[in-house]
Amino acid sequence: MTGPTETSMAALDPITVEVIGAALSSIVEETGEALVRASYSTNIKERRDCSTALFDCEGRTLCQAEHIPVHLGSFLDFIPTVLAHHDVAGIRAGDVFVGNDAYLGGGTHLPDIVLAEPIFVEGELVAWTVNLAHHSDFVDRAHAHIYQEGLRIPPIRLYRAGALQKDVQDLILLNCQVPRERLSDLRAQMAANRVGVRRFQELCGRYGVGTVQASGRALMDYAERKMRAGLAALPDGEWRFEDVFDNLDFDDPIPFAVTVRIDGDAITLDFEAPDQVRAGINMTRTALLATVYYIIKSVVDPTVLPNAGLARPITVNARVGSILNCQHPAAVNGRVQTCQRVADLILGALAQAAPDRVSASTNSTCTVALFSGTRQSGPDAGTYWVYLETIGGGGGARPNADGLDGVHVHATNTSNLPVEALEVEYPLVLERYELVDGSAGEGKFRGGMGLRRVYRATEDCMVRVDISRNLSRSWGLLGGGPGGHGGFETAPQAGAFDRGQGMLKAGEWLEVITPGGGGYGLPDEDRLAAE
Amino acid sequence: MPMKDGILNAGGKARWRVGVDSGGTFTDVCMFDELAGRMSVWKVSSTPDDPSRGIARGVEEGMRECANPTGDPASAIDYLGHGTTVATNALITHRGSKVGLLTTGGFRDLLEIGRQKRPDLYDIFADKPQTLVPRDLRFEVAERLLHDGTVETALDTDAVREAARAMGDNGVEAVAICFLYSFVNPAHEQQARAILEEELPDVFLCTSHEIAPEFREFERLSTTTVNAYLGPIMKRYIRRLTPRFENLGLTVPPHLTQSNGGVVRFDAAAETPVRAVLSGPSTGVVAAQVIGAAAGEADIITFDMGGTSSDVALMAGGQMTRTNEASVHGYPIKAPMLDIHTVGAGGGSIARIDSGGLLKVGPESAGADPGPVCYGRGGDAATVTDANVVLQVLNPTHLLGGRMEIRRDLALQAIDRMAEQLGMDAMETAQGIISVVTANMAKAIRVISVQRGHDPRRYALMAFGGAGPLHAVRLAQELGMPRVIIPPAPGTLCAMGLLMTDLRAEFPVTRLLPLEHDTLDGIAAAADQVTAQAEGWFDSEAIAPDRRQTLRRVDMRYEGQNYELSIALPDGPVTQATLDILRARFTEAHTRLYGFAVEDERIFCVTFRAEAIGLVQKADLPKRALGPSNAAPAIIGSRQTWYPETGSFTETALYLRDRLLPGMCFDGPAIVEQMDTTTLVPPGVAARVDETGNLVLELS
Repeated sequence: MTGPTETSMAALDPITVEVIGAALSSIVEETGEALVRASYSTNIKERRDCSTALFDCEGRTLCQAEHIPVHLGSFLDFIPTVLAHHDVAGIRAGDVFVGNDAYLGGGTHLPDIVLAEPIFVEGELVAWTVNLAHHSDFVDRAHAHIYQEGLRIPPIRLYRAGALQKDVQDLILLNCQVPRERLSDLRAQMAANRVGVRRFQELCGRYGVGTVQASGRALMDYAERKMRAGLAALPDGEWRFEDVFDNLDFDDPIPFAVTVRIDGDAITLDFEAPDQVRAGINMTRTALLATVYYIIKSVVDPTVLPNAGLARPITVNARVGSILNCQHPAAVNGRVQTCQRVADLILGALAQAAPDRVSASTNSTCTVALFSGTRQSGPDAGTYWVYLETIGGGGGARPNADGLDGVHVHATNTSNLPVEALEVEYPLVLERYELVDGSAGEGKFRGGMGLRRVYRATEDCMVRVDISRNLSRSWGLLGGGPGGHGGFETAPQAGAFDRGQGMLKAGEWLEVITPGGGGYGLPDEDRLAAE
Repeated sequence: MPMKDGILNAGGKARWRVGVDSGGTFTDVCMFDELAGRMSVWKVSSTPDDPSRGIARGVEEGMRECANPTGDPASAIDYLGHGTTVATNALITHRGSKVGLLTTGGFRDLLEIGRQKRPDLYDIFADKPQTLVPRDLRFEVAERLLHDGTVETALDTDAVREAARAMGDNGVEAVAICFLYSFVNPAHEQQARAILEEELPDVFLCTSHEIAPEFREFERLSTTTVNAYLGPIMKRYIRRLTPRFENLGLTVPPHLTQSNGGVVRFDAAAETPVRAVLSGPSTGVVAAQVIGAAAGEADIITFDMGGTSSDVALMAGGQMTRTNEASVHGYPIKAPMLDIHTVGAGGGSIARIDSGGLLKVGPESAGADPGPVCYGRGGDAATVTDANVVLQVLNPTHLLGGRMEIRRDLALQAIDRMAEQLGMDAMETAQGIISVVTANMAKAIRVISVQRGHDPRRYALMAFGGAGPLHAVRLAQELGMPRVIIPPAPGTLCAMGLLMTDLRAEFPVTRLLPLEHDTLDGIAAAADQVTAQAEGWFDSEAIAPDRRQTLRRVDMRYEGQNYELSIALPDGPVTQATLDILRARFTEAHTRLYGFAVEDERIFCVTFRAEAIGLVQKADLPKRALGPSNAAPAIIGSRQTWYPETGSFTETALYLRDRLLPGMCFDGPAIVEQMDTTTLVPPGVAARVDETGNLVLELS
């Protein structure tokens, strides 16, 4: 490993560090933009369900683009696993590692495919550029364990010194339902990494490898200092909060709890959850960590740099084998639902410490509608199609303002697909897309409103709806009321849906409603009268 | 007494071209005498309550002073161009009109939902930009088209009429009409508009297929709504200004600048104010283009740095980079714009040490009041200007040609306080503030260069605005740029740009067609359609045939992608050879941007665009022969200035810009002072004055 040379250390002052920090963030933003613009699937090109990051040669996050917080989970263990399972001395420029597995490689669910490429300067491995794209594939499956959820790919070479390993690619594509889209999106991921390699090498050319690497370490120290300064400004103490998780997989709500302890400039979170379940809601440890880092940064100091340093003052404990820290072979496909609930759970605990720093509960889920089928007409008749969308809901009311209406919260932040793109690409028509009246929790400041989307199938298709807060409701704070439930409905003539899964025939409709956010403070008389 | 210009003009032959740039503080009037080839500038205070007063006074006084002392002051004007920030100010301050919205049934909330992303990933307290139409003024009507434009549900005309009356009862001043797929088939929007015209005869109306006939309903809706929001404001503004010009004897139709750097007639501008939201900074970029062309520089990045923000733009091969979509003050807008990127970094940007111990600069600004610490008006937060004063890059005793006193002692105290916290010395800290603000500006330039596939090291940096010339070399060094150009009058470049803009209009049509032999006819038809629209516009603007120029482009992508690359369409009829050229150009552009091209993938044409340009007679930049290289006659003194290159105060020659003549050369360290700006030439940089009076700085 290259250590910083004496001259570079001499050049390392707070200003150089700041300048290199700005350069790193423009590199990850630029690679993200290349990925979106070159991509083919609606989930990436319009919905931007992808992330990019830079890692140092020990596998620690140097910088993550502001895309999707939960994707950090997939990044956390990827490079360490590459380094542990491959001969590091044998890694060459132009090697590209591909992987998605939740238990070997740190992924959080199988559709998130990571591509990582080492960056060499003067023959020396100095950093990694990494990106993740959520491939809309591996659908219409059961979720009793991970083997039902798709192809598991450990971190292996897709390219070796710049040469495509076609046999590896063929194996992956054969296991995908829409291989043409997968191939195109993998190309876009390659393009993004090419940009990352080039820009990082240029940065090293300008400042010297030693200075850039030393700055990377200094930026982690800096993030740690800021996180500690923010934690120290909060009161010391211990706070517990409980909530339940409910969705269509379970007849009874599942209890979760967290105890948050702030001690000086450090924070510890102890989670309590039942044993992992034969359903897709289990979270790997990396998904839990990504969620915790996200919400702690949001509450303590949103401006802390998103690198490995921010994690140092944070200790996370969750029982191995529980839903919140699952082990092989638990299914994990729907882990984002759980991430959302955990983020709000932590808000509930921190609300007792610093009620002016948090919101009431958001809609606390990431509602999913997943459509798939075989095209029955047009030039592509006979081919399989998959359309995934995630739908926003209400944000939590804030100490000084209403909650945001119809937005993605916490661990996700994907765009919707324009109606005018959706209907060109898939045999679906969108009938309505609107805010749900009455879904906002009441309060001095009301919660955000949920969304309603009504789809009509123009060809027969399979559907899976992943909703939450169908039994429980998002909690308000300091007297604020709870948000509305999530739910779905189908045309009266449509066949029965079993736990959110079913079939729509051409002409039948499906309505999905997402939950509203909780309110903050007791509602004023005036406000009640007005609503 | 020599004959006054105005008397020469007694025969009535008009020959003055006038540009009026109306800013928050000053209104600049730039007058170009076409016969004498001479330019004069007249400055008056702006009148923010009714800008038309200041504008009229500026034109009246300026023309009387410089051109036409008797008779109607504006009668000798044969062209008048005007740039205004009225649209952008109304949008920033949310002082637009009361707007009603008419949408397809089920979609009235789309305006609020947008793309359903939250405004900030981590900040719980961040809010979305204010919705421009409240929910109770958003009306849905039954109607539905399918994606191919066929009608699934006919327009419910009764519902339109009912909505119109409800909007009328609510006192709306403008209505935006936006239905799904109107860019494919505008029939329903046209029908609705006709009904609203009957019901609401005095209300400003606009439809999405007219304002932004392109795919992606939210962005089209947002653009149409912003247009409605600004429409009545712009109409009122123009209605006030027009008679004032008429009273001054103006006989030609005045023109207004648009965000694309071109101008259109006032009447056209009043219908599409959304195309004028970047009217302000765009003319500076236009002037930079002309100055660059005269100086033989085709590849330029412009850098306009003021007190609170900096605007940057890129020009490749002498052409300004344009974009067809941008987020302006949080609102997505689809309209032709110069690709101008703004960053909150200016002379007044405040430096601070954050909780993690790093030095940060901006985006908070000390503004004009109290301003930087060195102004001595009670400011106590160190700014970029204070750092420059402490380093003595800026004059440590006075600015603005001696009209303003500077307190270096106060600035030094403020910097000392920060230096102590950082454990660095005061000069390193002051230079650190410069380095950090430079990094922020470099990031903005990376957005418009590297992120768009352009290498800044191949570009010259043209700096203007009050603070641009001071920071230009440091910025160029940060980005590896070889050369910096400082035009002669960096402070009034926008007014000057008004005399250099062409008439411009753009005609897009979206037609999704694969680039294949079978679709040759369709591609040719689309190209012909926009070409014909451009010709029609030339006729309506009465532009002489030899002054017409049409640039055609096609937005193209691979089948399955959703972001297009803009590819130049060759002139002349579209043939198989044209398709081959398009394919080659697209493949080349895709490879340059993304590093790959796909042999067997189908390529789609998406939007065809014709940009119609009416070339105007422009103010020529006078050239003077290069004289002796000795610049010593321009030296007016010297001062000790601190440089990171020397790590100490170094004796630095002071040059007066007015005395620097074409041909003169000198080496840094040097400082050039002029009324409206200061130029820093650090050690190791060579300076020369070119034929048009630009200061050209060569970095080694």
